[in-house]
Amino acid sequence: MAANQQLPSKEQTLFRHVVQNYESKQYKKGLKAAEQILRKHPNHGDTQAMKALILSSQGKSEEAFELCRIALKNAMKSQVCWHVYGLLYRGQRNYEEALKAYRFALRLDPDSSQILRDLAMLQVQMRDYAGYVQSRRTMLQARPQHRQNWTALAIALHMSGDLAGAEDVLQKYEESMRQTPSRSDMENAEAVLYKNTIIAERGEMERALEHVDSIAKMALDKTAVMEMRAQYLLALDRKEEAVEAYTKLLRRNAEHREHYEGLEKAKGLDRSKTEDHQKLGEMYHGWAEQSERIDAPRRLPLDFKTGDAFREHADKYLRRMLKKGVPSTFANVKQLYSDPEKKEVIRELVEGYASEKPQANGSAEPNGSADGSHSKPDAATTWELSVNYFLAQHYDYHLSRDLSRARKHIERAIELKPSETDYTYHMTRARIMKHNGEVAEASKAMNEAREMDLKDRYINTKCAKYQLRNGQHDDAVATMGLFTRKEAVGGPLGDLLDMQCVWFITEDGEAYVRQSNLALALKRFKAVYDIFIAWEDDQFDFHSFSLRKGMVRAYVDMLRWEDRLREHPFFTRAALSAIRIYCALFDHPELAKGGTANGETAEGAAERKKAAKKAKKDAEKAEAERKAAAAKKATPAKKEEDGETKKEDADPHGLELLKSAGEKPLEDAMKFLMPLLEMSPRNVEGQVAGFEVFMRRKKYLPALKCLLAIYAVEPEHPKCHELGCRLRIALERLEEPLPATVKQIVDSEFLQKFAS
Amino acid sequence: ADPPPSIPTSAEDRKAAAALDSLDARGDDEGAAPKKNIDRDALDKAMKALGADKPKPKAALEEKKEVEKKKVVKIDQADVALLVEQLDLSKTKATELLRAHDADAVKAMTAFVTAPV
Amino acid sequence: MDIRVLRPSDIPHVQQTNITNLPENYFCKYYLYHALSWPQLSYVAVDVSRPKKTPYDAPKIVGYVLAKMEEDPADGIQHGHITSLSVMRTHRRLGLAEKLMRQSQRAMYETYGAVYVSLHVRVSNVAALALYRDTLGFKVGGTEAKYYADGEDAYGMRMDLDYLREEALDEESEDENTMGKDEG
Repeated sequence: MAANQQLPSKEQTLFRHVVQNYESKQYKKGLKAAEQILRKHPNHGDTQAMKALILSSQGKSEEAFELCRIALKNAMKSQVCWHVYGLLYRGQRNYEEALKAYRFALRLDPDSSQILRDLAMLQVQMRDYAGYVQSRRTMLQARPQHRQNWTALAIALHMSGDLAGAEDVLQKYEESMRQTPSRSDMENAEAVLYKNTIIAERGEMERALEHVDSIAKMALDKTAVMEMRAQYLLALDRKEEAVEAYTKLLRRNAEHREHYEGLEKAKGLDRSKTEDHQKLGEMYHGWAEQSERIDAPRRLPLDFKTGDAFREHADKYLRRMLKKGVPSTFANVKQLYSDPEKKEVIRELVEGYASEKPQANGSAEPNGSADGSHSKPDAATTWELSVNYFLAQHYDYHLSRDLSRARKHIERAIELKPSETDYTYHMTRARIMKHNGEVAEASKAMNEAREMDLKDRYINTKCAKYQLRNGQHDDAVATMGLFTRKEAVGGPLGDLLDMQCVWFITEDGEAYVRQSNLALALKRFKAVYDIFIAWEDDQFDFHSFSLRKGMVRAYVDMLRWEDRLREHPFFTRAALSAIRIYCALFDHPELAKGGTANGETAEGAAERKKAAKKAKKDAEKAEAERKAAAAKKATPAKKEEDGETKKEDADPHGLELLKSAGEKPLEDAMKFLMPLLEMSPRNVEGQVAGFEVFMRRKKYLPALKCLLAIYAVEPEHPKCHELGCRLRIALERLEEPLPATVKQIVDSEFLQKFAS
Repeated sequence: ADPPPSIPTSAEDRKAAAALDSLDARGDDEGAAPKKNIDRDALDKAMKALGADKPKPKAALEEKKEVEKKKVVKIDQADVALLVEQLDLSKTKATELLRAHDADAVKAMTAFVTAPV
Repeated sequence: MDIRVLRPSDIPHVQQTNITNLPENYFCKYYLYHALSWPQLSYVAVDVSRPKKTPYDAPKIVGYVLAKMEEDPADGIQHGHITSLSVMRTHRRLGLAEKLMRQSQRAMYETYGAVYVSLHVRVSNVAALALYRDTLGFKVGGTEAKYYADGEDAYGMRMDLDYLREEALDEESEDENTMGKDEG
């Protein structure tokens, strides 16, 4: 701290209070104390910085930045000011700048554990593992008596790829323990298992097995230990023991597919070998015998059995499930339809059941339904219902579609009227209509299904989806609103955004695309983009939390998941739609003005305006209602001054967003495109999107890269030819010739290989 | 702690809010007392061993070697600029790519375009 | 159907299943908080028979149980708590809820020494009440007034985990029969 910034002792005490108040999140107290100091010492940088930090915690980030900059002017050499400056940047997710500020602060105060800790968190968040290892070493040297500092260094080394180093650090700590920790020491139990996973990752199965055996008695996560053991035994080809290990695992959880796979391998059985089928069948039969209630060993043989054996097994399986009235029976077997022979056998079997005389001897299952609200139908009805329901789904499925038959069977199921509230069959009827292109009728039918059970959110959700497919945004929001929190800011949509309801936001955006309302469509896809940013940011707190908790294996899992976060189909779907809009905006810049797509009629525009007006009015009404309700609850409004206030949306129709997108559509498109190409390169649609963007940007080599990727993944893709032609034509009509080296690559990798 | 901005009305939400609020507890990382069953001498020894094991000298050596290797491959800034422009890469990425391909721009760009997916 | 422990990568779909089925919803971070604090306790049911569309398809979650340990038990007794449990309507009658719960309960007992497990259910939710009471063996302990956002009361239910002690003993004695004693 600069000498001229020294406070008198009374204010020093006050300042300590400010820091404490901030740490315990008592922001108002903290602010008061800070202001008290500033009244006497208006230019005290550290106090200003702390005040800024509190302001930013209350969501006033602009004010905070401004104040912190003043603080820095007053105290250029204060580590507090630089530290806060870094924290403010970190709050804005500007990690690069935050890193610089922390480093500066650390240079001023190399021994500050707080700054070092914040720097370390940022490094792991940014996946700067080299830097993280270094910070962790320093932190360990400062406090070697804390186990979490050892574990943290091990994680840093592990993530940086130094497995041996990571194991060594964990080992060194263990060796320094005077006595064996108590059985209930969770931190120890986890650290020991973590070490085991590292040994296994190093490929040293023998040692991993030995180690896991040595700790098995102590371990608290029994399931994990048993699974590790089984995997190691299998990897070491110690088959008999592996059989035993997987058998034990299956006794604990007979519905886990990996255990069956393990057992097959341990028994040396191979599904692709017909001669093994007998033994495989016996194995699964044995497990099915264990309990009436297990599904996996009954279902699995359908995957490998063929011919008569398949028919026989399918017959048994289907009869059993249909008799019980299991509604997911079709969902459970449709995967087999990729084999046309199996598809036909299943059809024949179930069609056969439909013409059988109803059986009256099926006794009611003792514990089938959890729905105690209505009496169970008799066995004959259950059977006929199940069979018709199955056939309806069969003929609705795209690989076996015959919608009029589907319709016939679902109508029959509905006639049987199992209960007033069971909407299952009405729901499927709506689905069949949708597949028949009757979008409006389907939405209406789904709404009727919803009305059968108003307390059920599942059917409510389905109904909203069908409403969106039919372009009924307001209805869909109102439907969803029946189950969203009433106090949510921004009404039901606000709650859905808060609760990160990606499917709805995406469907809503796609519905707007169909109506050529690019502004709101883009707004929704941007909202999905932002949810992924939030999910990425969610890991931040766990960098320290997990070390405190000691649950490091789960933490490492999380890091690895977050690394690949955007390969999730939720992201891909929104990104593809967004990129299509950006390309349209580039091709037709006039779209950015009104938000209407080319060719919309005047009537259409008027209609849309009317709808927008109505939506606005509805929203206003809802907002007024919400405010009234909030007022009634008498939640003191002053609370809002304290914490982060949720701002009203300043651009509810997305017009500003669209305008700014129109200024640099391709640049914005890249934000969606880059994660797509990096995380899901084998997704052909993503590569097509990449081609479209790069062509417009006249980046021909990246466009070629996308084209080659499409060829590699799906040589027969219908777009291949078209895209190839477009690239060729573009290359022929260049305004400026390509540099010689680039031309050479285009020739050898494209023109010569794909000669027309 | 100050109450969160809007008080959740359900007990369920209050629980969630409280749990999330405590995640980023500041300053209590080092708060817990160290475990008692630690042998300080052994720990000191472990620390020293860690220092000795620290792959620093070796790694530094390797790094040096790598630096030397990097120096052997002289990268033409014009090539970097070419890759930045043609492949739409950052300067750092472009330099890395060239370095991985003997500073040969054609090789580097070909590898980029034909990288397996 | 595949029943296995919840992984962080399952969270987007678990969150979707939750918001599809139930009115009590949470941010991704709250799921992470569960998965990273008590990674052994939450389980998912995955529909493994869905044909894959791309190599990046995420496992389709048709049911889940999100569970935790009570951090500061008021009664001083270690116990687990079910934060949320739901099964897609399309996947009923497979006993998934029960199977998920059983896995979670055993982990509560084995890993954290839980004595019992507790949960809350809306007083109007007859179906769920029946499931917990009749199928899973929970008992109503009391009512909590205005537990839910809409002002509805909740039943507090709980179930003792004694039965797991016996199961564990069975397993152990079997171990000794088949493997002989190993030196611990």
